[in-house]
Amino acid sequence: MKKLGWILLAATLAAQAQVTAPVTTETLTKAQQDPNSWLSYGKNYFGWRYSPLTQITTANVAQLAPAWILPTGVPGNNETTPLVNGDMMYLTGPSNNAWAVDLLTGKKVWSYSDYVPSGLGLCCGTVNRGFAMLGDRLFKVNIQSTLVALEAKSGKVLWETTIDDYKKGYSNTAAPLVVKDMVVVGTAGAEWGIRGYIDAYDAATGKRRWRFYTVPTAGEPGMETWGGNSYKTGGGSTWITGTYDPELNLIYWGIGNPGPDMDGTVRSGDNLYTCAIVAIDADTGKLKWYFQMTPHDVHDWDAVADPVLVEATVNGAKVKAVAQANRNGFYYLLDRTTGKFLTAKAYTKVNWADGIGADGRPILIANREPTPEGNMTCPGLGGGHNWSATAYSPKTGLYYFGATDGCQLFTVEKMEYVEGKQYQAGDALAVPKEPNSGSVNAVDPSTGTLKWKHPLMSNPSGLLATAGGLIFTGDSDGYMMALDALTGKVLWHFQTGAAIRSPAISYTFRGKQYIAMVSGQNLLAFKLP
Amino acid sequence: MAIRQWVKSALLLALGSGLCFGQAQTNPFAGNAQAVADGSKLFAQSCAPCHGRDGTGGQGQAEGMRPPDLTRGVFKAGRQDSDLFRVISQGVRGTEMPSFSSLGNDQIWRLVTFVRSLSAVTPVLAGDPKAGEALFWGKGNCGSCHQIGTRGTRLGPDLTRGGRRSNAKYLRESIVDPNADITPGFAIITVETRDHQKISGLERWLDNFSARLIDQSGNERTFLRDEVISIDREMRSTMPDNYSKMFSATDIDNLVAYIQKMRSEANSQ
Repeated sequence: MKKLGWILLAATLAAQAQVTAPVTTETLTKAQQDPNSWLSYGKNYFGWRYSPLTQITTANVAQLAPAWILPTGVPGNNETTPLVNGDMMYLTGPSNNAWAVDLLTGKKVWSYSDYVPSGLGLCCGTVNRGFAMLGDRLFKVNIQSTLVALEAKSGKVLWETTIDDYKKGYSNTAAPLVVKDMVVVGTAGAEWGIRGYIDAYDAATGKRRWRFYTVPTAGEPGMETWGGNSYKTGGGSTWITGTYDPELNLIYWGIGNPGPDMDGTVRSGDNLYTCAIVAIDADTGKLKWYFQMTPHDVHDWDAVADPVLVEATVNGAKVKAVAQANRNGFYYLLDRTTGKFLTAKAYTKVNWADGIGADGRPILIANREPTPEGNMTCPGLGGGHNWSATAYSPKTGLYYFGATDGCQLFTVEKMEYVEGKQYQAGDALAVPKEPNSGSVNAVDPSTGTLKWKHPLMSNPSGLLATAGGLIFTGDSDGYMMALDALTGKVLWHFQTGAAIRSPAISYTFRGKQYIAMVSGQNLLAFKLP
Repeated sequence: MAIRQWVKSALLLALGSGLCFGQAQTNPFAGNAQAVADGSKLFAQSCAPCHGRDGTGGQGQAEGMRPPDLTRGVFKAGRQDSDLFRVISQGVRGTEMPSFSSLGNDQIWRLVTFVRSLSAVTPVLAGDPKAGEALFWGKGNCGSCHQIGTRGTRLGPDLTRGGRRSNAKYLRESIVDPNADITPGFAIITVETRDHQKISGLERWLDNFSARLIDQSGNERTFLRDEVISIDREMRSTMPDNYSKMFSATDIDNLVAYIQKMRSEANSQ
């Protein structure tokens, strides 16, 4: 009898155990077919943030309740996308912190922490947006421009590589993207007059394989788009994770603003490849194509939002496309094989361009440049849609994103470049009595037609789409909420107690679907009763 | 072992205290115009990314943060220049404010001097604070909505430290044209209940799921959006907009002088 008990126990444990298998190129390529895990920043290489799980639905989401709450103990804005593999969750936090979490209890298994030096040039705090995974390794950037590989089992540091010199304004916040045996990272710092790039590092050793500069130098194509020596402080940061098409072997990455942000008079020309999406050959790091949304930007309208890979229908034909709600207020669809412009449509109030021409260039409205007194321009400095995670549901066929709706007064001032110092040369101020509002938007990716817009008090955190017909997001007042993916109606909300800056993820543990999200310094996991 | 540990701790403590006391605690540039100009440049390079070029925090808000408005002269970390110095050099744990110790003491003091200048009182030569005080608490009846120190009512913005902005121009504008700018959290909320009653009042808060207001009877009430027909916010002040007719230009100068005087006193405490 006793022996039978042990056998039964062993059988039960075997049934319950979730295997924490090493992550391979194949598992990353087929990530969408694995509903149980969340192995990379965008869930799949296409950046869909779509969970195929269907236990939590529009019919039962009202019963969703916390399963556990983990206080990380680290304050500050947390913008991370947690990863789940087997029975473990891995998440990063601000100020160079990270943890592994046991999915059964919600308790920390190990912690990682590194020193934050003084003298960093940061626009938006010591934030971090998550891990990447390959084999039994985790990869994250640290704020002082380093890339570190950790052993997933123990959190032990396997190698650490210096990406750049933080004293010159370089810093790192984005989750890396694993492609083949490489770890691809971007940099922040366009407000510090850096010269931006996208880097690929050997996942085994941390040695750099290639670098693609987002601002050309003497003798390179694109140099003619920079007046004088302005390319030397041209900016072009790459601070949000890109996407990857394994069939085309192309990496898609959004590029930030030119420097200095608001004073365009010192950098005449289009300022390539700032405010553009680039397609890069994954093996060589060479540019395949680019498309610039905002030539000669003077409003800090980075094109860094997730470049989401979708199959669109254009003139009745299926097209492999890349979609992006750009910070300049327009939604864009491009042919991702060639970079050809397909369509664009405004999704919020825009007063700087009278639409986008057939060539993909904005049809400018005169006198919208920043002035010393302040010139009202819509959208404001943060966009439109800024950086927060977007989602695509193959079930509804819709592309979802959060937005800030409103305007700001853009100012400009003369500023000398000093290495390692902020080089913005202007500001964006609130318009009196016209506070910005926010919204969750659902768009037909093929046409840019707005299907629904759910208004909010301010821009929401990142999004998660699920096959249960739901869109999850959070707000700065601490409300986590679920919207009907077809109508935008809010079906559930929960007050988490702190501002939410991060997107939710979904996974299974012991056969049950969970929704996890970070709020303030707490990690929360929800499930049905 | 225990004693050795204790001695070690005591030594560390002494060393730590020594370092603290070793730092200059007095602003060598207090009121120095050149330091304000230098600090302004440094502010643009190091602080504007979050606090905005004008120090009101607009830029950081656009980036999803909540930087404090540095133009009000109200600082959470303390009232002395040495408190501002400490915050800039050490950062504030638990917030997005990092350490700027790498700037060095000289530049940090210049920054402190500039930040102080953002909330410096603009003298109102014509104003008589005594007469302003009499008007504020007497005929003007300002105390029925505003608080200064322990006096008055906290229905409108607290004026102990001059309100949202403390410069004379802004204060004067707030009195004669209260709708020119609305202090966040002081708009008008109107709720339409399911029985089609419309309840308007002063905003306490408004978020995606609820609102709280002070109705015309002075009662504070909370409403959930899904239990009412609508909740709307109007960016309009509840303050009367006829003070320019009720009061003379001298009266208004006197009021501004009084509010600024009280603010100076509160900040120097």
